[in-house]
Amino acid sequence: MIRISRSVLAPTLFSLTFVGGQAVAQEARTWLDRMNRAVEELNYQGTFVHVLGGTAETLRIVHRNAAGRSAERILSLDGVGREIIRQDDEVQFILPDQRVVLLETRKDVSPLVTALPSYSAEIEPHYELTLHNTARVAGRSAQVLEIKPRDEFRYGYMLWLDQETAMPLKSELIDEKGAIVEQILFTEIDLLPDIPAEALEATLDTTGFTVLSAPDSPLLAEQAIPWRASAVPGGFKLSVATQSPMPGSEYPVEHLVYSDGLATVSVFIEDPKTNAEVGDGFSNLGSTNAFSLTLRGRKVTAVGEVPRQTVRTIASSLVAE
Amino acid sequence: MTEQINDQISAFIDDELSADESAMLVRRFERDPEARGQALRYTLIGTALRGELLEPHPAVLRHRIAAALAGAVPVTPRLPVRWSVVRIARPLLGFGIAATVAVVAIGVLRAVNNSDPVSSRIVAATVAAPLPLQARDAVEAPSYVVPPEVAEGRVVTPPIRLTNYLMHHSEYASRLSRTSVHSNVVSAAPERPRAATPEARQ
Repeated sequence: MIRISRSVLAPTLFSLTFVGGQAVAQEARTWLDRMNRAVEELNYQGTFVHVLGGTAETLRIVHRNAAGRSAERILSLDGVGREIIRQDDEVQFILPDQRVVLLETRKDVSPLVTALPSYSAEIEPHYELTLHNTARVAGRSAQVLEIKPRDEFRYGYMLWLDQETAMPLKSELIDEKGAIVEQILFTEIDLLPDIPAEALEATLDTTGFTVLSAPDSPLLAEQAIPWRASAVPGGFKLSVATQSPMPGSEYPVEHLVYSDGLATVSVFIEDPKTNAEVGDGFSNLGSTNAFSLTLRGRKVTAVGEVPRQTVRTIASSLVAE
Repeated sequence: MTEQINDQISAFIDDELSADESAMLVRRFERDPEARGQALRYTLIGTALRGELLEPHPAVLRHRIAAALAGAVPVTPRLPVRWSVVRIARPLLGFGIAATVAVVAIGVLRAVNNSDPVSSRIVAATVAAPLPLQARDAVEAPSYVVPPEVAEGRVVTPPIRLTNYLMHHSEYASRLSRTSVHSNVVSAAPERPRAATPEARQ
């Protein structure tokens, strides 16, 4: 009988386990990258249910990618029928109940902005990635991927990714206590070779609506924005420092973006006189938490799909460099 | 489409309408595509949340319509209820989409009257713990009752400025988060924002 020394076996098993774990994590990251590309690059239309707290809403989505330019329309099939249309750098948000159209234009001046985030090994100190078995969603076979945060400063995900295309057919956002905060679930989806441009046109007649758009003002360079958060949860790094023009405001708002590679927190800094609507304290819109406070004569608001304590920690730590 | 029609459609899906009411609603489906679409959506939601959406057109709606047209008592397909389904369905109470609860309640009613002791045990054991109140209410009042509104957890319309922030934020968020943020914004109920919470002022 061959005797293997414990001193040889233990490190060998450890190495095999470590290498195996690395391979699984790499495969999980590959799924995430595929998902990210699929959501942006495929042509699809479908109906999904958005479940949040005591509310379920049915929404229609049309996503078009033609010659590398993507456009998307999300329409609520219930309630007042709000609609978001995103074409290139312009986002139209139509609120028929208020007879208002919000027109947002993205003007990037930061060299740090990237079109799509990529999921590197840097997320692993903060999230545990696990590939589970396959399941069926909306009549398609899906790979189940769990993203579990390692601390209480970020949310987790359960994702059901289409085996063929990696499109997320179902997703659950899970809070720091393990409760489901939000679900998005496709009830039907069509992946198409092409979608006509007309499919992205607004279904609502906005004649007579008030259009709120931002003035075309020159924006500061990233270096000219002096604000930085002095205390951020581990792994969050500044990824963007820019100015964002705001509809209804003469002056653009300073905007910092912190990301841990998966979760993102935006910090907006502006003159409180231009922002009387947002009071100090917590607010939320669905799974997105926000925290506002007045700091050194400026109104500071942090928003993100993260727990409340994360937006409060980041917003409260803002300093002028 | 009025709230009353929506409630009627929800009750129809849940098999809570009388035969006459069902027949009237089916006649409405013939001439009202919006009502028809709403019925399909409600059915899809219920079926999807039960994790049973394996085909694009759920059988529940077809059974209901066929039964209403035939003037017969509709047959409710017996569906397995799992813990995860109950957990997901709970937040939907009071929203008017009572499909899961109704199926469970009907299952309990049938289990009570069922002479087969094995199937009785399975249904009762499955549904009694997670949803005792809903099942009991349904036993006491099996006729059509509009579920009460549940205000807790309802999304409120943020001030325009907060919406501006979210729209800008979504441009820098991951694609997954962007869909989530846009869904949140689109789904927000047309109400005024609530005040900042006391916790926030600490």
